[in-house]
Amino acid sequence: MTVSRRTFLGAALVVAVPVPALAGPAAGAGPAAGLTPNVFVRVDGRGRVVATVPRPDTGQGVRTMAAVLVAEELAVEVEDVTLEQAPGDTATYGSQAVANSTSSRQLATPLRTAAATARCLLIAAAAARWGVPAAACTARGGRVHHPGRRPLAYRDLVADAAALDPATVPVTLTPPERWRLIGRTRAGRSDARDIVTGRARYGAESAPRGSLIAVVARPPWIGAQVAAVDDGAARAVDGVVAVVRLAAPAAGQGGVAVVASSTAAALRGREALTVTWTGGTPAADSRAWLDELEAALPPAGSPVRPGGPGTAFPGAAADGGADPYLRRVYRMPLLAHAPMEPMNATAHVTADAVRVWAPVQDPGGLRTQLARSLALPEARIAVTPTLAGGAFGRRIEPDAVLEAIACSRAAGKPVSVRWTRDDDTRHDSYRPMSVHRLTAALDASGLPLTRTHEVVTWPLTVLPAFANPAVVRASGDHFPYTVPGDVSVALRPAPIRTGFWRAVYAGQFGYAEECFLSEIARHGGHDQVAFRRRLLPAGSRLHAVLDAAAAKAGPAPAGVACHLEYGSAIAVIADADPATRRVRRVTAAVDVGVPIHPSGVIAQVEGAILDAVSTVLGAQITVRDGAVVQSSFRDYAWARIGDCPDIDVIIVGSQAPIGGLGELAYPPAAAAIASALAGPEPVTGMPYGVPVG
Amino acid sequence: MGRFRLQVNGRRQVVDVPGDTPLLWVLREELGLTGPRYGCGVGACGACVSLIDGAAGRPCVRTVEDADGARVTTIEGLSEHGDHPVQRAWVDLDVAQCGYCQPGQIMTVVALLARVPDPSDAQIDEALRDNVCRCGTYPRIRSAVRRAASLVRGAS
Ligand code: FES
Ligand code: FES
Repeated sequence: MTVSRRTFLGAALVVAVPVPALAGPAAGAGPAAGLTPNVFVRVDGRGRVVATVPRPDTGQGVRTMAAVLVAEELAVEVEDVTLEQAPGDTATYGSQAVANSTSSRQLATPLRTAAATARCLLIAAAAARWGVPAAACTARGGRVHHPGRRPLAYRDLVADAAALDPATVPVTLTPPERWRLIGRTRAGRSDARDIVTGRARYGAESAPRGSLIAVVARPPWIGAQVAAVDDGAARAVDGVVAVVRLAAPAAGQGGVAVVASSTAAALRGREALTVTWTGGTPAADSRAWLDELEAALPPAGSPVRPGGPGTAFPGAAADGGADPYLRRVYRMPLLAHAPMEPMNATAHVTADAVRVWAPVQDPGGLRTQLARSLALPEARIAVTPTLAGGAFGRRIEPDAVLEAIACSRAAGKPVSVRWTRDDDTRHDSYRPMSVHRLTAALDASGLPLTRTHEVVTWPLTVLPAFANPAVVRASGDHFPYTVPGDVSVALRPAPIRTGFWRAVYAGQFGYAEECFLSEIARHGGHDQVAFRRRLLPAGSRLHAVLDAAAAKAGPAPAGVACHLEYGSAIAVIADADPATRRVRRVTAAVDVGVPIHPSGVIAQVEGAILDAVSTVLGAQITVRDGAVVQSSFRDYAWARIGDCPDIDVIIVGSQAPIGGLGELAYPPAAAAIASALAGPEPVTGMPYGVPVG
Repeated sequence: MGRFRLQVNGRRQVVDVPGDTPLLWVLREELGLTGPRYGCGVGACGACVSLIDGAAGRPCVRTVEDADGARVTTIEGLSEHGDHPVQRAWVDLDVAQCGYCQPGQIMTVVALLARVPDPSDAQIDEALRDNVCRCGTYPRIRSAVRRAASLVRGAS
């Protein structure tokens, strides 16, 4: 049976095409043909409910979310749903990108509709068999029930259901008041057992048997290129089978790959290489970069005047004629993604096909991109996304995949490229540095009348669209308060690779804005929560979350911040001891519309809070003499368990549609924590209290 | 090349590899035990932690030569059905996000509870100090260690 894709993919997709009767890796498997109303869900001949998860799981929990939604609509339990991971295929699945916190917003309705369609067809089949109206039947526990009849199991109905014309069967979604699971389930993560037994398969574990292993000698300073290679000693290492020159950008970031029969041999081979490098910027220095950004700020003028140029500031006279305003400059560092599983990818290039297994954030987009760059039809390219040991924006990029393809082509075998932690830390696409100058005109009571936020930063080198200041501004500026003003963005050329990092530019903009607001409130002697309440527009979703967080955190909190983005709202309150630099407690209240998998919602907020603790206390990337200084978690000072505050996450219910979440908590958590740590001192950058850059 | 003897998850193994090969690659690539994860290779993250002669060790920084004759337990050898109390606590409290660090966290906690059946918060933080979780599951790890400790006490 085929149905229009538009029916199931909703507004996310503009083209309507028929869906293959069975899509996904297990197509055609299984005993009986089974019921497959669309690309997302099928009920097989044994009555098993199988959901195809279109986007990869990077730890954000999309697989569990899919299981909850499908279980709800097919009236089974979360653990009854078998999950299959979709291969890269945008024609079938639409966008498969784990990006911009879109997965729950874009997938919930299609997944629910898919499962509800299957349920309605099964009910229709049972009703027909019994000769009763479908409305008198219900689905529950993998069976269809009718008062006075013996329940029929799904497995006994799939053949009849598959023969029905879905156009004749009305599909109804389970209404929220009847939800058993959505927003309520206590189920944990779908892959939990595989994770705790070590069976979970990430990139390295997904490489086909017999794959060779490659490690890459990478530029010792930024932009360096290979001038010459002496690989005699490397080739002599036992187990080394090939040495491959990788030319950027076609084969990733460039370098020399050593392909071997084992990781240890590949590492020994890399050690034995002699590479001569040329070009690049061997004198680059991140402190100097930040100074250059600051020097590029426009000349500091007066703050924006409430009534336009030439008008007076209210309160100015009372203040002896001086313009009452506050001004502060914030300096933001480079940050690395540092996913726990370092970058890696496996490729097998044969005469007529390219196959890839890798932890990637956008398998469909990658396949399309590879088709273009390799000049192959998409049908000849297979991208299998694996579980990813974290991503945080890093795995949008194809660099490791391109390296694996180049190595496999040269070696004629499947090759798995493994980045060491050192490679991963030193050759990331970093969150850009930025300098923010904020100016606020204040009234006599210390409330801001206007605000000016001037930003100088770099574009994201991984996506050309971000070379546009308007795009950067749109990413960064989500100021939710009713203070009129100006935001200006100037972009300088990026001296290092830059990319998406959790919350993208909102991480820098939101941090500066909320730290500044905290200082204004303190300056005017206002309570941080009451002050924000006054500035929020009536009816803002932030009122409810701010109230909920404040009620839990107690009176007169030092660190407070809000954020409104991705269709969700959050308030974060932090308590810290400035003397010991210890973050004691963080309270977050979040409104995501529908918290599909509550434990997963809380986990995403906890994770973003730990990112905030890490980056405010001291994690940053610095560049000296052309090279990134840090090389592992030893010096990229990510939070340890002892740095972890007590965390309370409150889910605040609302009538809003499903909102995004993965990135939401980072900007306000960082600002609240920094403000709490600063106490009466101003925050001047990130990390707080250590030199930036 | 050398021949090295190990007892891994209760089975005797003999491997023929250069003596300076890190034990982690022997476990993962010679013996097919991929539960110990590679996170840094320099002993700085804890993703590879396994029991070496009963204590939490980091096979990424132990050469096979140095480990010759050792008894090694990887996460695969912790329990037959994934129901060791620490594993159960981890599942019950839905600790994992990406899960990549968790075998190392779990094995570190197994070693901790063997020494200290009822650890204080400070002892938990100390034992797990060099186990990074990039996803930030620390609050749940803390709770799960307490849960695991009470499960172990209940069982004994
Ligand atoms: S891989 Fe062994 S401690 Fe990081
Ligand atoms: S769960 Fe992802 S690194 Fe710990």
